[in-house]
Amino acid sequence: MQIKMNGKRVKVKKGETILDIAKRNGINIPTLCYHPDLKPEGRCRICLVEVNGKLVTSCNTKVEEKMEIFTNTKRVLEARRLNMELILSNITYTRKDFELIKLAKELGIRKIRFKKHVDNSKGRGPIEIDNHRCILCGRCVQVCQNIQGINNIDFVNRGIFTEVTTPFNIPIKDSPCTFCGQCALYCPENAVRERAFSEKLIKYVEDMNLIKNRNKVVIVQTAPAVRASLGEMFGAEPRTLVTGKMVAALRKIGFDKVFDTNFGADMTIMEEANEFVKSIEKNKNLPLITSCCPSWIRFAEETYPFLLKNISTCKSPQQMFGAIAKTYYAKKIGVKPEDLIVVSIVPCIAKKFEAEKPEMKSAGCNDVDIVLTTREIGRMIERKKINFSKLGDGEFDEPLGIPSGGGAIFGATGGVTESVLRVIYEIFTGKKLKKVNFKQVRGFEGIRDTEIEMGNKNIKIAIAHGLGNIRKLIESGEWKRYHFIEMMACPGGCIGGGGQPRPTTWEIRKKRIAALYEQDKKMKIRVASHSPAIKETYKEFLGKPLGKKSEKLLHTKYEKRKPKYF
Amino acid sequence: MQILRKSGWAGFEKTLRMNRKEVIKKVKESGLNGRGGCNFPTGLKWELMGKGVRYLICNANEGEPGTLKDKFIMEKNPSLLIEGIAIASYATGIHKTFIYLRGEYSYLKPKLERVIKQSEEYLKKINLKININLGAGSYLCGEETAIMESIEGKRPVVRQKPPYPPEVGLYGKSTCVNNVETLANVPLIFLGGWNNKLELYSLSGDLKKPGVYEVEGGIKLKQIVSLTKPKTEPKIIYFGASGGCLPYKKFENLSMGYKSISEQGCMLNGRGLIICGKNRDIVELSKIFTEFFLHENCGYCTPCREGNFRVWELLKKIGCRKGRKSDLNLLQKLAYHISDTSYCGLGTSSTNHLKCALKYFKGEFLKLCK
Repeated sequence: MQIKMNGKRVKVKKGETILDIAKRNGINIPTLCYHPDLKPEGRCRICLVEVNGKLVTSCNTKVEEKMEIFTNTKRVLEARRLNMELILSNITYTRKDFELIKLAKELGIRKIRFKKHVDNSKGRGPIEIDNHRCILCGRCVQVCQNIQGINNIDFVNRGIFTEVTTPFNIPIKDSPCTFCGQCALYCPENAVRERAFSEKLIKYVEDMNLIKNRNKVVIVQTAPAVRASLGEMFGAEPRTLVTGKMVAALRKIGFDKVFDTNFGADMTIMEEANEFVKSIEKNKNLPLITSCCPSWIRFAEETYPFLLKNISTCKSPQQMFGAIAKTYYAKKIGVKPEDLIVVSIVPCIAKKFEAEKPEMKSAGCNDVDIVLTTREIGRMIERKKINFSKLGDGEFDEPLGIPSGGGAIFGATGGVTESVLRVIYEIFTGKKLKKVNFKQVRGFEGIRDTEIEMGNKNIKIAIAHGLGNIRKLIESGEWKRYHFIEMMACPGGCIGGGGQPRPTTWEIRKKRIAALYEQDKKMKIRVASHSPAIKETYKEFLGKPLGKKSEKLLHTKYEKRKPKYF
Repeated sequence: MQILRKSGWAGFEKTLRMNRKEVIKKVKESGLNGRGGCNFPTGLKWELMGKGVRYLICNANEGEPGTLKDKFIMEKNPSLLIEGIAIASYATGIHKTFIYLRGEYSYLKPKLERVIKQSEEYLKKINLKININLGAGSYLCGEETAIMESIEGKRPVVRQKPPYPPEVGLYGKSTCVNNVETLANVPLIFLGGWNNKLELYSLSGDLKKPGVYEVEGGIKLKQIVSLTKPKTEPKIIYFGASGGCLPYKKFENLSMGYKSISEQGCMLNGRGLIICGKNRDIVELSKIFTEFFLHENCGYCTPCREGNFRVWELLKKIGCRKGRKSDLNLLQKLAYHISDTSYCGLGTSSTNHLKCALKYFKGEFLKLCK
């Protein structure tokens, strides 16, 4: 089929949108509410083009025979500009809203002729929705409904009073929200965002002297997925790992010690692998389902309480690290647990909720005090005026900073499974693992399954990422067939978590995952049980996996929860 | 009046003796067009229906200001409507029909249910079930795809077209949506002696005798207005809220019809005429109609949501004699912009009244500007 675009003849296929064709032919059409992962809805009306004398949105109009398309006539440009003006007239925006400001510049807006009128903002729970900034593009609603399948937010009211909110406008923390934060990740305006953990504490962190005057020690742990994405906030390509620069920047901010959550991840693997071996031997509570994702845990507690007995009792890496730091490490350096402030930097919003859970108190106070997302730490580095791209490479502190490759790939979907497989291989077969890579479990499909032979056992494994896929897996009843299931609430695993830099698309996710696997490849130690730091911790402090002490510090319980208002 | 003829299911019995294709052919030959506003040939619509499970929706969400013909039919002759639904269902092979009744007409629900119960023996013959769904007062639900969203229990938002309802409609199935007046006319075709040209007009405004009138299409505007005995000399004729407006004096001799009205940049939606007398202020009227759209737009797309609000702001400013000429220019720009770039039919027609007002009565706007 042939159409005319800006006077030129262009070959097209049926079913393509005008935007696809323009992109392929190097014609720039500005977009705002369009996102490559989502179904185009045509709400913002920025991507207008003229087709046979009519203005249509290019993102959701499919090409037809005899179309004559113009992408930059005066009429089109004026209409785009006026729509942008109408959008901007009604929201609060700052210099940080890159997407919006860039677009406004591109469209040539100098003056806005209308005054603001919206005056309603609500901040509640780990996620907050700020209607001052909302442009009603509908990305968050679509992600919550179509990709994650939670249906917790939607539009209410109509006309100029339309806003995005929870059912019956109840506070987010009482709603069925799982805090996966995908809505925040897809928001172009920072209108849906993570709640700053505690304004006061963050100010303390920013001004380290304040804390040090009070004889406090501040340590920080960084999650595996952060190093693969933090660089993006400072203009790096999505595939670059910025481990060294990140450590150096954190030291510059003023943290006393910089540790690696991969250590916590290694510990999680040890505990989980041993738990799995135990349940396989007893043939009880199979399949074992992973518990690293707090969003998935909340989802299970609210929606599928019958699965709770199958979920591994291990805490998430962040909480394991916190527990070890507040007990083992605090004792080691001679500080009271209350005076040791554990900050964690994660790609996740649900971790904020997890850290505040009442059962996460192994030393009398919260195991993790402050949780910051990748975006937040990026902003903090910016505010401190640290020139990130010119920083040298720093090194993690010992002893909680020397991880194995198994911990490093935790951030990718399938990573937990692979790390666990590496450990249990040696337990089941008694041989040393030669082929470390389990390529069967890698990939990007929403639900994957595979079978792996180990000794005389045939282990059936399933991996699901994205809450929508998890729901599919559970409700089809397929989950009963497996021995081990990895569940991650965010598409792509933690690498696509709710606290990651914007924009995040599938392309970027794939690049970040590739970076993590590269990092794993370079590691000397790739099996968690071989890590000297882990061996030492077990020898000095915990005893053995699933022992009395680790049972107390590293494991937790789940209970059936009902959203408050339902 | 023709529409008040009692058929007593004679038309339906006649269709049962024909096969489906013959029924559709007869409707096509009769020249019955959709009376809801789009003027689409009814027979053709039925012919386009797909296979498998299909649904019929009777659109009784009559929300256009100044239109009350559907209410009139459902009040005075509901059995004719039910019979029309039965014939349409028979012709298209449908076994489930939804009547989407406007929320404000909820008092008609028991009456319609009674009629459905009384005609059960006929409905059983073609295994037809009729459901009555009450709307919740949304004007947008008069649009065919918004009705589907509403029946499915979702937030009423117009769906992207294509695919059109005969391909993918209610619950993803092939669906036919017909107006009340269209369906009520169907049995009359088979009864014989049906006059295609007779249409219902709803007239309201500054009149001594407002109401529903049955007249032949193509009648002069002057003639139809004189039937209603205006209180004062008419100045502006509004074709509902979304249809636009015309100055009465200039278009006295305009013949009423879809084609002739749309040539003037207006739309004959639902054939509701609001006649405003000579002492009405055009700026005030424009503001009132904008307020209507401000209340009824769904908030989906930017131009309609934000634009109509800005139009209302500007009209308020001009109405208070605080506006400048630049404001008037902006108003004109916005009026065309909204109808150019909006997502659905509501948005694109929401400034029709203003466009016409600025075309024919710009002097009055200018008088109020500094």
